[in-house]
Order: sequence, then C-alpha cells, then structure tokens
Amino acid sequence: MYFKKIQVLKVESVNDEYFVLRIRDKELTQNIKPGQFFQIKDPCAVFPLLPRPFSVYEVEGDKLSFLIKKVGESTKHLSLLKEGHIIQLLGPLGNGFPLVSNKKVLIASGGIGYAPMTYLEQKLKEAGNEVWFYHGGRSSNDVFCEDVQNCTEDGSCGHVGLVTEHIEKCFDSIYIDVAYACGPEAMLKVLVGICAERNIPVYVSLERVMACGVGACYGCVIKIKENDSIVYKKVCKDGPVFDGAKVIWDE
Amino acid sequence: MSKCEITFGKMKWKNPVTVASGTFGLEYAELFDLSQLGALTTKTITPEPKAGNEPQRIVETEVGLLNSIGLQNPGVDEFIKIDLPEYRKFDTNLIVSISASSINEFASLVKKLDTQPGIDAYEINVSCPNVENEGIAFGTDPEIVFDLTKKLRETTEKTLIIKLSPNVTSIMDIAKQAENAGADGLALINTLYGMAIDVETRKPKLHNIIGGYSGPAIKPVALQNVYKVAQAVHIPILAMGGISSVNDALEFIIAGATAIAVGTYNFVNPLGTLEIIDGIQEYCISHNISYKNLIGSIQT
Repeated sequence: MYFKKIQVLKVESVNDEYFVLRIRDKELTQNIKPGQFFQIKDPCAVFPLLPRPFSVYEVEGDKLSFLIKKVGESTKHLSLLKEGHIIQLLGPLGNGFPLVSNKKVLIASGGIGYAPMTYLEQKLKEAGNEVWFYHGGRSSNDVFCEDVQNCTEDGSCGHVGLVTEHIEKCFDSIYIDVAYACGPEAMLKVLVGICAERNIPVYVSLERVMACGVGACYGCVIKIKENDSIVYKKVCKDGPVFDGAKVIWDE
Repeated sequence: MSKCEITFGKMKWKNPVTVASGTFGLEYAELFDLSQLGALTTKTITPEPKAGNEPQRIVETEVGLLNSIGLQNPGVDEFIKIDLPEYRKFDTNLIVSISASSINEFASLVKKLDTQPGIDAYEINVSCPNVENEGIAFGTDPEIVFDLTKKLRETTEKTLIIKLSPNVTSIMDIAKQAENAGADGLALINTLYGMAIDVETRKPKLHNIIGGYSGPAIKPVALQNVYKVAQAVHIPILAMGGISSVNDALEFIIAGATAIAVGTYNFVNPLGTLEIIDGIQEYCISHNISYKNLIGSIQT
C-alpha cells in the first residue's frame, strides 16, 4: 500500500457517462492483483471531503488506469481534470480476485462493473484459463469492448436482454469451473443463484460507501455467512471480493 | 531534543500529536512508522466482542462525516491476544480506548488490561453516541462521570483520560467532576449528534437514523468546547474535532489543549499527522515561542 500525490497523465472521455483516468507510476503499478482498488481524491478539492474507491482497470508497465462512471460530485470533478493536475492515490487496496489456472472460467460484468474485469481476464488467460466474458448494460453507452459477449437491455448493442439470461444459456452449453462477477447487486444476486443451481463457485466484487479504505473505520461492512452465524465483514479490507454464496444481500 | 515534548498525565510524549479513537489502526503501519506519533490511540475496546450497528454506517455530508459504527470490536481478550502485541512494537505511548455498560464492568476491564505490559493510558469513552446503555449514557451525567472516574482511579495507576461528549448542557460541569475524581486528563470532543435524509426515498441515510458527526465542519464547535473546558480545569486536554491542518491544530493548542488528535482527516490524508507534527514545531521556531508557552496562550 502506497500513499502518493502524482500527476494525471490523461483523462479520456469514453462517452457522456464514462471516462478513463490514466496515471503513470513505477511503485503503484507493482504487484496489483485484479479486483484491487485505489482511493483517489483531488487534494485541492475541499468538497467532497473523502477520497473515492476505484477498481484498477488496466495495468501496463508503469501505466495504470481507472474506468470511472460519472455518478456524483467526486467523479464529475475527476472527469474534468487536465493532464499534469496532482491527484492523491492510496493503494492498491482490498483482497482482489482469487485466481485459478487451467480452468474454464466465466467473467460476468454489468455497467461500471466492467472496470476490474479486463485486467482479471488478462491475468486469467496468462494462467492458462479458457475465458467466457459476458458484459451487460442498459444500452450501447454501457458497452466498452467489442471482444466480449455484450448484452444490452434495449438491444442497441450485442445480444438483447439481461446478461444473466445469456449466461444461463452459456452454462447450458459449456461446463464452467468458476465464475467471477462485478456489477449491480440485482445482477449479482441472480448470478449467484444461477451458479448455486449448478454448483459453480462464484466470486463477486462488491461496492460500498467507504471512508478509510484500509480497514480502520469499519464503515463499509456487509453481512457474510460464516460457519453458522452472520458476521460483518469490511468491503475495503476483507473484500471487495467475496464468495458469492456467503453474501447476505440487502433487501 | 524536540521542542514540542509534553507531559500528559504520567506519560511523556515526543510530540503533542495522536490519532482519534476509531479513525486509525495498525493498517497504517504500512504507510509510515507509527512510532513517529506522540501516542497511538486504539479503537474502543469492550469487555465482550461487539458486532456493531446495522449498515448503512457512514454518510458524507458537507465537509463532514456521519457515522454509526456502534463500536464494532473483537472484545478485550482478542485485543490482548492479537492487536496489543502489534501495538507494543512501536516506540510510543499507547492509549487504549475502552467502553463498558456499567461502572463495575469498566473497572474489571481496566483490571484485566492492567495485567498487560505496554499500555500507558486509558481513554474512557463515555461519549459514543452510537451505542445503547453505554457510551454517552455515562458521559452526560456529571455524577456518574465522577463515580466512574473515582472507581477507575482506585483501580489503576496509569494515566486516565476521560473522553467527553459535546452533546451536553454544560461540558464544564462534567469536566470538573472528572478532574475532582482524579482523572489525569480529558479528551474532547467526541462526535456531535447528526443525521441526513435522502429526499427521494424520504429515508434516513444512516440505518440508525442518528449518528455521530465529525470532520472539518465541527471544528469551531470543538474549539469553543476546548476553550471553555481549559478555563474550567487544571488537568491537560487532548483536543480533537475536525483537525485537518497545522493551523487547526495550533488553534486548539492556543485555546488551551496540551495535545491534539487527528480523526476524520486520517481518511482524507493518512500522512496528515506527520505534516501537523512538523508544522507545529516550525510554528514554534518561527514565532520564537516554546511549545509549553503556546498552550493556552490565547490573547483575549
């Protein structure tokens, strides 16, 4: 874990909803696991007060990027930063996805849940896995890459319908050993159900409002089944990746 | 020799900066040598493990943070086994923050911790707004604060710091009772009561509806509490409440605080404490004033 103030390399707009924040740093890019995240903030901005957690999108040499959706003040502010502006980063944080090797694996993402999945796909392929990558969104605005099985609710890109419907069809034709997912909780909940019916282990990356990001404040907890009881686990430190079968979903 | 050394109760601090309970942990040892702090303050420990409150536990507001953690902690036995040996590795004072649900429970907790090496002080958390039947239930009644402090004074030789709530009619009365009962120092302020509502769903943003409010927004409130208490007592004050810069820290010291704690700002800048330590020293040098003389030097 590092805490550094460094220059923005580039902010690239993807479309009106999404952008990519690029930085370059030798230390920060060492040993990042797919699914880990950084707490990012413009130190000059008084409001919002706290940094925001963003999953690592791409790592290439000393280059690091974050795919970010504009949802509030912090993300809007970051989207407007120019090259050379100083931002602060704390990370890499969290556990990341547990990697398997030489298996048939499914990657499932929804919307901005796509962010940690390309780096995961890269690492899984490097470990000799065969990967089926399904991504869902409301429209073509939520699609980031042509090379995956895209599913849109309005049919504006790729398959029509919910990504989970198409994943079920995939499961019917291919034997999958393990699944990885990140996306809206409604999608994750359905996916965990589909996987449970087929005894496929599924790892889900979750998101919660965080303060410290390192495990000190206990603000970002979720309920997890542990043995016969239910315990609070920290999304920032115990997660953000959890065994999907153990997550107690919010009502 | 550092110019900003202080004595706080029976402790000698190499500098007057610590962290506020619940906003810091051993996790930060990955970023810097925690021995650089004047003292380390633990998250509040209770006699039994505490699951904490139902989420949503935190909400950011305008330059502030609402929390309702509910003192989630593994309990004293686990603390002694797992965390305490780790804390002991740092060459600085260790303040263990504690809470319990009766005076006798508080005393047993202190007795148990007193058998362990490496603890320099207890911060008695009688001001947490997020737990029922403990925390603030003690800290709002001057008589209970007196009885509790007296009992703990009889129980331990170590430095006793009573952490006060701003959510009271007269913080001075409570401060005086703690002093009269033998407290070595006071820590203030704990969080203010606060809440936020989502206007679309018309639901409170915190599951517990009301939580504790911290961060830069509460600094003026904290400062006047510290100023008032400094006028009322002779024991040292560990001041906290929105401190986010050297300037903020200096204001509290000038108002009468012997030491300061950084809380919410640790989440914004985990190295903020170090910047504040350096800044206080630089201020003393550039203003040609000893740290001792700076304390309570407000010109009114």
